[in-house]
Amino acid sequence: MRATASAIAAFAVALALFTGCAASPTGASVGKAPPTPSEIPAPLPTADVDVPRVSSALDLNQVPVPLTPERIRVVSLGIDMPIESVGLAPDGAMRLPANPAVAAWYRYGPSPTSPTGATVVAAHVDSLVYDLGPFARLAKAGAGTEIVVTTEDGLDRRYALESIQTVNKADVPWASIFDRSGPARLTLVTCGGEFDYDARRYLSNVIATARPIP
Amino acid sequence: MLKSLKIGMAAAAVGAVVTLGGIAPAQAADDVAMLSVLHGVPDLTVDVYVNDKLTLDDFKPGDLAGPLELAPGTYTVAITASDAADASKPAIGPVDLPLEAGKNYTAAAHLDEAGKPTATLFTNDISQLAAGEGRLTVRHVAAAPAVDVLADGAAAITNLVNPKESVLTLPAGTISAAVAATGTTDPVIGPADVNVAEGTNTLVYAWGSLADKNLALAVQTIGGLHSSPEGVPAGEAGLVATNQPSDSTGLFVGGAAVLMGLVAAAALGLRRLAGARR
Repeated sequence: MRATASAIAAFAVALALFTGCAASPTGASVGKAPPTPSEIPAPLPTADVDVPRVSSALDLNQVPVPLTPERIRVVSLGIDMPIESVGLAPDGAMRLPANPAVAAWYRYGPSPTSPTGATVVAAHVDSLVYDLGPFARLAKAGAGTEIVVTTEDGLDRRYALESIQTVNKADVPWASIFDRSGPARLTLVTCGGEFDYDARRYLSNVIATARPIP
Repeated sequence: MLKSLKIGMAAAAVGAVVTLGGIAPAQAADDVAMLSVLHGVPDLTVDVYVNDKLTLDDFKPGDLAGPLELAPGTYTVAITASDAADASKPAIGPVDLPLEAGKNYTAAAHLDEAGKPTATLFTNDISQLAAGEGRLTVRHVAAAPAVDVLADGAAAITNLVNPKESVLTLPAGTISAAVAATGTTDPVIGPADVNVAEGTNTLVYAWGSLADKNLALAVQTIGGLHSSPEGVPAGEAGLVATNQPSDSTGLFVGGAAVLMGLVAAAALGLRRLAGARR
């Protein structure tokens, strides 16, 4: 009986969410039919709103410049690399240092000190000049692997690996990889999978996502 | 004194600027209008009434309110002294603000060139920016004649008059901005560092009064206009490839990828050494 009641409650909450109605998710609303869209009153947008206010002074209201990540370590994989701040290559791709032992941070996106979004750190997996890079070992990492990023203030930011995927380059959702909203996280990108020996490029990206360790 | 002022909304039509590009960012709600309100009248704390409802109580000079998410339509805004009981005796307005769905506006209460309080409705450009770029919008809402805006010492905008704006697309980064009387380089405001942030419209307002020596810069930012890099090419040697070369010279079998990579690396290394010695 209790299970049934809670199932009904859950259903009512789901309905309320679905219709966008702000019905209270308490037992009191159980059994009350959710309003049809035509019954929802038009919002009075200017009534009783608590409008956020800020000083528009130049030194108080600019987009803050985030702290730069400078070093990445994955002790269990023997990874310890400096990080360069990078922008874009002429072709519109993220510009990586030629040396696969140097990682790159996409400086226009979030940093480990940003409240939201993905800090993107990438490195070449290999190079004709420099041989294999440390990020080649990422593919072996298991969930929970600890990753430490040091920011320019000298503080270590610790992350736990959540997932690692190999995705065909044509299918990588770049807007999601470089997402500036959503939970703060660390996204590591390199290459892998099959190789096009004529074009000398990998066909996939290896993408690891890690969550901050509180 | 201010209560006797009744100013029409002709200024709004003058100040309104058609949104460039017209491509709204994906995350912008298409069915609502966004409205921010800037208070750019020095020394006057006000109340702002929207459709006769008190919306901003004790709104102080230099403050920025919003953004409010509003259903599209025309809103009547009246600005009164902060001790007014209702909107019946506005210091500015009442003015009608026609707000369209999917657009982003800033209504500024400010001084006109002659120093009288007025209001202007600006349309903010929220079209998407290319990766690596920022947008700088400069608005002249000060009691002052035409100005030039200097970026890193050079005139970036010339002959900007109240209540007009100028919009620039720049490589993202911090610039040193200053405002000078048009045709001159002696700053009346600044120089000050302005972060033209990537993927963001940074809106800078010159407000206040030249005669009263209280000219200042106000800033508003609208983010989320960014584009992503088009990829991350992160390998070139095939050393971790999960496949073998498919071309059939027949000479290479297992480990070919590594062999090819090493041969190429050796060749490149020699070339680099030769280059270094030259």
